[in-house]
Amino acid sequence: MPSLLILLPLAVLVIFNLPLGMAMRRLYYWIVATVLVAQGFFVAVTPFFDWKALNDPLAMFFEYKLSIDAFSLIMLFIIALVASVSLQVARYTIEPGRKTEGFINLLLVTVIGMNAIVMANGIFSLYVFVEVVAVSSFILIAMNKSKFAMEGAFKYLILSAVASVMILFAIAILFFISGDTSFSSVQSAAKVQAASAYVKIAMMLLIAGLFIKSGIVPFHGWLPDAYTESQAPVSVLLAGIVTKTVGVYALIRLMYYVFGMSPAAQKILMFAGALSIVVGALAAITQKNFKKMLAYSSVSQMGYIILALGCGTTMAIIGAVFHLLNHAIFKSLLFVNSASVEKSLGTVDMEKMGGLGQKMPVTGFTSVIAFLSTAGIPPLSGFWSKLIIITALWTAGNTGYAALALVSSIITLGYFLSMQSMAFFGQVRNGLEDVKESGMGLAIPQAILAIVTIGIGLLFPVIYNLFLMPLGNILR
Amino acid sequence: MMAAILIPFLSGMALFLTRKKASLFKDIFAVVITVVNLIVAIAMIGKEAVIKTPWVGYGAEFSLRVYHFSSFICFATAVFSVLIAVYSAVFMRNKSDLKRYYAYFLISISLVNGAVLADNLILMLFFWEAILVTIFGLIAIGGKNAFRTATKAFIIVGASDLCMMVGIAMTGYLAGTFSISGINLPINSPMAVIAFLMLSVGALAKAGVVPFHSWLPDAAVDAPLPFMAFMTAAFEKFLGIYFLARITMDIFQLTPASGLSVILMVIGGISILLGSFAAYVQRDMKKMMAYSSISQAGYMILGIGTCLPAGIVGGLFHMINHAIYKFGLFLVGGAVEKEAGTTDLSKLGGLKAKMPVTFACFVIVACAISGVPPFNGFFSKEMVYDGALERGVIFYLVALLGSFFTAASFLKLGHAAFLGKEADNKKQVKEAPVSMLIPMIILACLCVLFGLYNYFPLAKFIQPIAGDKILHGHNFWGMPHNWGLVAAGFIVLAAVIFYHWTMFKKSGRALNVSDRLRSVKGLAVFYDMSGKKYLDPYDMAGRVVFLFARLLWALDRVTDWVYDVLCVKVCCAFSYGIRKLHTGSYSAYILWCLAGALFMMFYILR
Repeated sequence: MPSLLILLPLAVLVIFNLPLGMAMRRLYYWIVATVLVAQGFFVAVTPFFDWKALNDPLAMFFEYKLSIDAFSLIMLFIIALVASVSLQVARYTIEPGRKTEGFINLLLVTVIGMNAIVMANGIFSLYVFVEVVAVSSFILIAMNKSKFAMEGAFKYLILSAVASVMILFAIAILFFISGDTSFSSVQSAAKVQAASAYVKIAMMLLIAGLFIKSGIVPFHGWLPDAYTESQAPVSVLLAGIVTKTVGVYALIRLMYYVFGMSPAAQKILMFAGALSIVVGALAAITQKNFKKMLAYSSVSQMGYIILALGCGTTMAIIGAVFHLLNHAIFKSLLFVNSASVEKSLGTVDMEKMGGLGQKMPVTGFTSVIAFLSTAGIPPLSGFWSKLIIITALWTAGNTGYAALALVSSIITLGYFLSMQSMAFFGQVRNGLEDVKESGMGLAIPQAILAIVTIGIGLLFPVIYNLFLMPLGNILR
Repeated sequence: MMAAILIPFLSGMALFLTRKKASLFKDIFAVVITVVNLIVAIAMIGKEAVIKTPWVGYGAEFSLRVYHFSSFICFATAVFSVLIAVYSAVFMRNKSDLKRYYAYFLISISLVNGAVLADNLILMLFFWEAILVTIFGLIAIGGKNAFRTATKAFIIVGASDLCMMVGIAMTGYLAGTFSISGINLPINSPMAVIAFLMLSVGALAKAGVVPFHSWLPDAAVDAPLPFMAFMTAAFEKFLGIYFLARITMDIFQLTPASGLSVILMVIGGISILLGSFAAYVQRDMKKMMAYSSISQAGYMILGIGTCLPAGIVGGLFHMINHAIYKFGLFLVGGAVEKEAGTTDLSKLGGLKAKMPVTFACFVIVACAISGVPPFNGFFSKEMVYDGALERGVIFYLVALLGSFFTAASFLKLGHAAFLGKEADNKKQVKEAPVSMLIPMIILACLCVLFGLYNYFPLAKFIQPIAGDKILHGHNFWGMPHNWGLVAAGFIVLAAVIFYHWTMFKKSGRALNVSDRLRSVKGLAVFYDMSGKKYLDPYDMAGRVVFLFARLLWALDRVTDWVYDVLCVKVCCAFSYGIRKLHTGSYSAYILWCLAGALFMMFYILR
């Protein structure tokens, strides 16, 4: 019953915005949490229990097209996981009352939009839901109402507008060529007229637009500000899943499943990916702001996904999707860490931290897990996805890019180590003696994400067979 | 076959689980296990069987083969382990770490059995290397100083085992198989020569000849005495000589005409000379025995190196004889140490009256090592002489000279420790306990038996090993065949006694008979240098390694600079540049996007 993934959150959203008593309002958080956890659970057990095939009563009234394949399943899982973590973080960092309710409303809109994106079957419906997510994201970023938050939101708004123009223009061209916007007709039209300049221009405009959405160098200008200035749960949501769904998911879906690769497009993707990796990593290395470092690290990690996508072999796509999954998890974890530190210290300036690992053991430990996974240290999850990507690059003959990816891993390790040594390791800094762990509310999501990171790493063969192998099958 | 490996190994492991305290239970347990092992070994005698199961792949399979050679070594090992278990029961009492001692001891038995029975070079290497661990552990039991010695032994033997590993790889490559019984290579290419030498290094290092000897005298002082007896006198010699014999007879076709045979003989000769010279001037019983082990190993190498029937049979016979009498000597040394509290010759004297049985045993085993007829050492040495003389007079003379000093050493030892004045020792010296005497008496009897009735070991065990292909119907039992050599041997013995007597008259003390030799010009330099450890190959290598380490340290600083300074500077410079670009200006970011999109469009339409 795929439609429930959209309709259920929508129903919850509508019901709880009716004028209700306080008693009902308190339930809002729990109901949304249940919905999200249920989504995550049912997606995770799909290989054993196929909920998609259940009879859909709505089909009697509407005619709609939603499609779910292995890739969508992985995305649905990450959406549920990250959104529920973000919800949990919000409960402990945003003041209760109207503000929390507002956040939950927007979170639900975002989740609806993202669920729809990953199940969309046509290029226009994809665009519409991308915009839905974008609009709710603007408001989420600006929710803080501080000057900097406004600036970050505004930057995102402006650059998203540029992206919308590009994407809409591309859709117009494609509609003009194929007469339809469904994936299948666009695919056949693009195949027939692969050499035409229209298709090529449309493809490039789409790529450029989605690069802006996913924050690939040089289209990433909005990203560091938006990630840094938004509130903690919003950062988790944005970095963990929003940019990945609206940007990278859409890009992979369109490039690989609809247009098909051409050598020139591959070169562009790989170059942009490699540029992102290097620029992101180098920019991160001297940051003093915890969240800004994570933001640039996101740029760098997105580069890996795009680089693998550009490589284009089945193995590389599997690596890209797997890295998408892993990155969503460990980057969310790092942002929750930052939220925890921010809650305890009131700042994210790393120069004011020191020796926090002693005072905040859960945060310290889980951040070590997350950064080791990011840097690709076995046996954590990030190691496997990077391994697949680098092996795929190497076997496809892109040895230079493979080497670059490896070297950048070392830079990744470098900046995260400097982060750790500034914030968590060593002696407790003067004035921080009274700092305590920020409480169970944040410790639980941190622990869950860390366990998932370790678990995926240790159970890699199982994950690979159950969730990643099907990717290879649908690619053919 | 598996029982021979598994029983001692598992029981050794089980001992690790027991409590640290010494107890009668452990003594009895060790004796029982060694007896069981002996029964298993006896059951294997005369059998021919092969066990083969796949193992790690790549030609390394788990294959064991029992035949006359391996069953003989297993049998000899088993006999000696029973003796040492009985002996240790008293000797090791009240020493700390009895648990570890017995555990390592039993595991060693298992490993020796495994190495000897293995029919695959890699499997053999597995057991062979594992013995290194027990050697290390056994020496390290000795105490603080022993740890250094253990490390030294570990490095020396480990380095030579590494050579052997290379040799095994080359041999396997040349032969196309690692199965020992399936390899029979002619030495006709440089690679075969190197492979042979590499394998020999491993075998020679186990046998403990020059230049792999230098840990033996150190261990003699530091390690527990029974370790010296069973490990260096018996197990290691068995393994080293067993493997050397396998290399020269089976794995490679070594002929007397080849230069490699000469190399082996030279190594043997040097070991004989250096070992016996050094032994003669020692003032400590245990050290003297350790040095004499080196020279005795030289005889075995010399014998096998001749590639002549007399030499090979003599070498192998000498191996078993040496194990018997050197074992006996160490046990005597142990008894003296236990009762008199020291093995320093200058503090001993007149023990004959106090320890008559020990003295009697000593006389027999000392006569055996000195080559006095009719004890076993006499016969095996005559055979080695026979072979050496046939290959060159020089080798014969070297061997004869060595035997002169060996005999002189033990004459000096016996004179200083057992005869002469009683040393004013506070400790009330008495005869050693029975369980220490029994092994000594058995060994002394064996010396006599293997001498007078040498038909038994030679015809039953040793000649089948060499086989008809080498022997051509020769038989070596009975009386020596070359009476000229026997006469020369007698002359040497007479000279020893004469020399000892004159020196004793001059110096007045048995201990000082060797002082004259120390002051002979050429030898004085040698002794001085070895006293300062200049001649120890281990220390020489240590100095080279130290220089090398300094060089690497300097290189490291350069690398450090590259990583710690250069890389960081470059990264920071780039990072700074990138941060400067991120001004936060909307128009700049939009321009970047548009420029990027335009570039992509141009690229795809080009």
